[in-house]
Amino acid sequence: MPGTEAPRWRFLITPRWLAWHLVMVGSVYGMLALGDWQLHRAESGNALSWAYTFEWPIFAVFAVVFWAKTIRDEFHPPAAPAPEDVALPAGAAAGASRWGAAEPAGEPAAPEDEAELAAYNAYLARLHREVKGHGKWHGLR
Amino acid sequence: MRLNVTLYRVMAYVTGVVLIVLCAFAIGQAFTNDAAIVNVIGTVHGLLYIVYLIVSYPLTRRLRLTAGPTVAVLLAGTIPVMTFVVERRISHRYIGPALAGVTAR
Repeated sequence: MPGTEAPRWRFLITPRWLAWHLVMVGSVYGMLALGDWQLHRAESGNALSWAYTFEWPIFAVFAVVFWAKTIRDEFHPPAAPAPEDVALPAGAAAGASRWGAAEPAGEPAAPEDEAELAAYNAYLARLHREVKGHGKWHGLR
Repeated sequence: MRLNVTLYRVMAYVTGVVLIVLCAFAIGQAFTNDAAIVNVIGTVHGLLYIVYLIVSYPLTRRLRLTAGPTVAVLLAGTIPVMTFVVERRISHRYIGPALAGVTAR
């Protein structure tokens, strides 16, 4: 297992991810600093600053939670079925797919299910292409 | 999925409208020097934005958006008019196709 574990966290120290880490640390620090600034304003008589005194730390917590969840998702990527996977029997990929797992194993999928699965797989395939290519919005990988 | 999308759309529009109202009053404040209403609307927008974040982040994960669109969705609630622009684009490019694929789930 250690042999497979070691490379998995390596993506975290790629330049792109390091840049994101820096952005995150900077923005969290900035949000906490803004909260501190609002606290001083509130203490010096600006009553409405109390709301911002609590809002900024909440935003900072959100940033940390979202960040942690994104990294956790990277460690456990839901198996994105390629378009070819549509041809597999319904039960074959069930264990690997988050959505596929909901389907009863061993039972052949109804035709409408297959159409939906194909459409969804086409959607995933398009996402995959967009991530690999240089589209308008870049992905992390 | 549908609930995610509905909540996101509702919050995108509510947050967007309040933000535009806030901007209108903020511009007006430059002439009247009455900061009270701007502060109140600003606080309301801050609270709505918290709800907006809670609602939209799960959707970005379910749509498996990459970093760019995810950041665009999350920050849209702080930039005037951007919630509408981003909501339209996300709906067209991601929500529509995803819903077409998971209607029965």
